[in-house]
Amino acid sequence: MKRTPRLHWISILLGLLVLMCVVSFHAYAAIRPEPVPVAGGHRELPDGAFALAFHGGPDPKWTPRTLERLDAAGIKATFFVTGAQVTRHPDVARRIVAEGHRIGIDGFRAEGDLATGLNLALAQAALADALGVHTRLVGAPAEIDSGDREHQDIGTLVRMSLRERGGGVVRLHDNGSIGGDIARELAKQPGHRFVFVSDEPPVEASARERFTGAVTTWSQRNGGIVLVVFGTAIAIAALLGLLRTLMQLGLAHTDRRLRRENEPPPWFAPPVSVVVPAYNEALNIAATVRSIAGNDHVADVEVIVVDDGSTDGTADIAEQLDLPGVTVIRQTNQGKPAALNAGVREASHDVLVLVDGDTIFEPDTIGQLVQPFADNGVGAVSGNAKVGNRQGLLGRWQHLEYCAGSNLDRQILHALRCIPTVPGAVGAFRRAALTDVGGVSADTLAEDTDLTMAVTRAGWRVAYRPEAKAWTEAPASLHGLFLQRYRWSYGTFQAMWKHRGALVENGPMGRFGLLYLLAFHLLLPLLAPVMDLLVLYGFLVADAPLGLIVWAVFLLIQTASAGYALRLDGESLRPLWAYPLQQLVYRQLMYVVVIQSLITALHGTQLRWMSVRRTGRLADAPGGRVRVT
Amino acid sequence: MQVFVDRNGGRRVAARFVSWTVASGLIVFAAVVGGTLLGAW
Repeated sequence: MKRTPRLHWISILLGLLVLMCVVSFHAYAAIRPEPVPVAGGHRELPDGAFALAFHGGPDPKWTPRTLERLDAAGIKATFFVTGAQVTRHPDVARRIVAEGHRIGIDGFRAEGDLATGLNLALAQAALADALGVHTRLVGAPAEIDSGDREHQDIGTLVRMSLRERGGGVVRLHDNGSIGGDIARELAKQPGHRFVFVSDEPPVEASARERFTGAVTTWSQRNGGIVLVVFGTAIAIAALLGLLRTLMQLGLAHTDRRLRRENEPPPWFAPPVSVVVPAYNEALNIAATVRSIAGNDHVADVEVIVVDDGSTDGTADIAEQLDLPGVTVIRQTNQGKPAALNAGVREASHDVLVLVDGDTIFEPDTIGQLVQPFADNGVGAVSGNAKVGNRQGLLGRWQHLEYCAGSNLDRQILHALRCIPTVPGAVGAFRRAALTDVGGVSADTLAEDTDLTMAVTRAGWRVAYRPEAKAWTEAPASLHGLFLQRYRWSYGTFQAMWKHRGALVENGPMGRFGLLYLLAFHLLLPLLAPVMDLLVLYGFLVADAPLGLIVWAVFLLIQTASAGYALRLDGESLRPLWAYPLQQLVYRQLMYVVVIQSLITALHGTQLRWMSVRRTGRLADAPGGRVRVT
Repeated sequence: MQVFVDRNGGRRVAARFVSWTVASGLIVFAAVVGGTLLGAW
């Protein structure tokens, strides 16, 4: 097998990190902390000279007015700007420099916001973007406070500003009206001259600084757009989730009610051929074949085990069981579809039950599974696959997913007459339906979905029989689960693509089935991570209780829906405690699976069957404690 | 031939090229911006 693509994960993770940084920076720059006057070191000025230092700008309304006053008075001043304000009003910052004044940095979000060096770096970046310069004038020096924040009387303010006879740096503000007025009055006082705080002019910013400035500026201005996009994704995901829950509750309930209310037809008992394709199933095959052979179906049941070139003695084990009505066929390894087709060719009956080599049937499973065939329009029947190894968190999660996800889905889709998958673990087909579609195809890795869609498109109905229970071994490790779901997901996408023509056909598969899969098996898993990401962002960076509330409500609805699914399936509600935990690892694994499947599809990589390591533990299945060694 | 599988592998090469370009572009981008900010810090 060619290596499955991996490089895209670096791009996806880095892309997400960059987006998170953009959103976080946007939120950070929007916060305006209280200004803190910075008392820096004493700056030596020529004797008797005053330097006017303006703070808090650039301000779109007051800074231009201050500049006009300074221009009229013929004074050049020094403006200690804040980085975030420079990004908000770069034209004002440019005008300050264009009119011959000097620029210094006073903070990033507010005056004195230089608590961390990062704020200084961000302020320099803002300056680099707006003016193309890097200033060494950082933080105001020791100043004579003009008192423009506390007093209004110009005379008082002028006196305060000039109280040091030897001169000094006068602290003023250009984000209010009075700073310019004080400057104008100061200029009228005889015997004073005005200089810059520093004679050292700003230097040209490096290309790296300018690029960084362009990025931070863009982030500060447009982070909101990213948030809106995230919010839209969350809204769509939430709507889809809600829609699915409503459909589950409504349609599954209706489906059950109709089953209850309709008079059960007379028991239907056709002869049945059971085909069991098996590849390296030595651990489970004996239990599987024994459980099938132990059926209580009232007509003939033949069992055909097709060993697809196993190397672990699967065929020998099946033969050694020496059970009546069980035939073992051996073939070189050709894949599951070929094994199924070989079994179907060998079968002598018209009703064919197809079952995986790791599945345990209950005695009445076959009898229940074939009941819908009493209706001549039914071409295939799905049984109710259950997790046989529910020990541990992973087993419980899969059990919950089988009940709350697959089975509930199947009930909805049964009501809509467009079940897309008769699972390989437990399904039955009418021979005529199989013949109509040319047998089991090897076009996809999800041959069960491909086959079911083909049968539906050929005009046959697909039924669901929840009473036909089969116990299957779920992967016992995260890696095994990933491989299984990767194959399922990729195979489902292959089948959807193969049967895309159904969208324009007059049948339930295109009208509902494909759209259902598109919405809930492709779009929802792709959008849902955004919700997790935003909740994480809320925790780490911003106060975002809304995201957390939406997430919690979503979880509550899903847990309630899972509880309902367990009840419908006649299962205990006890494993439900593991459901909220499922949101932390399991769900994310499913996103990874969907993304990986999409990328593999884009790459056009040939993906082979990825077998899951068997343990042979099916302790939760009836009689499942049997372990073959 | 399975659905999606590209017989001559051209799509795979193109996709790998796009992946490499995007990944290395993002790494350079993150290094320049992060490095400049951290350097000034």
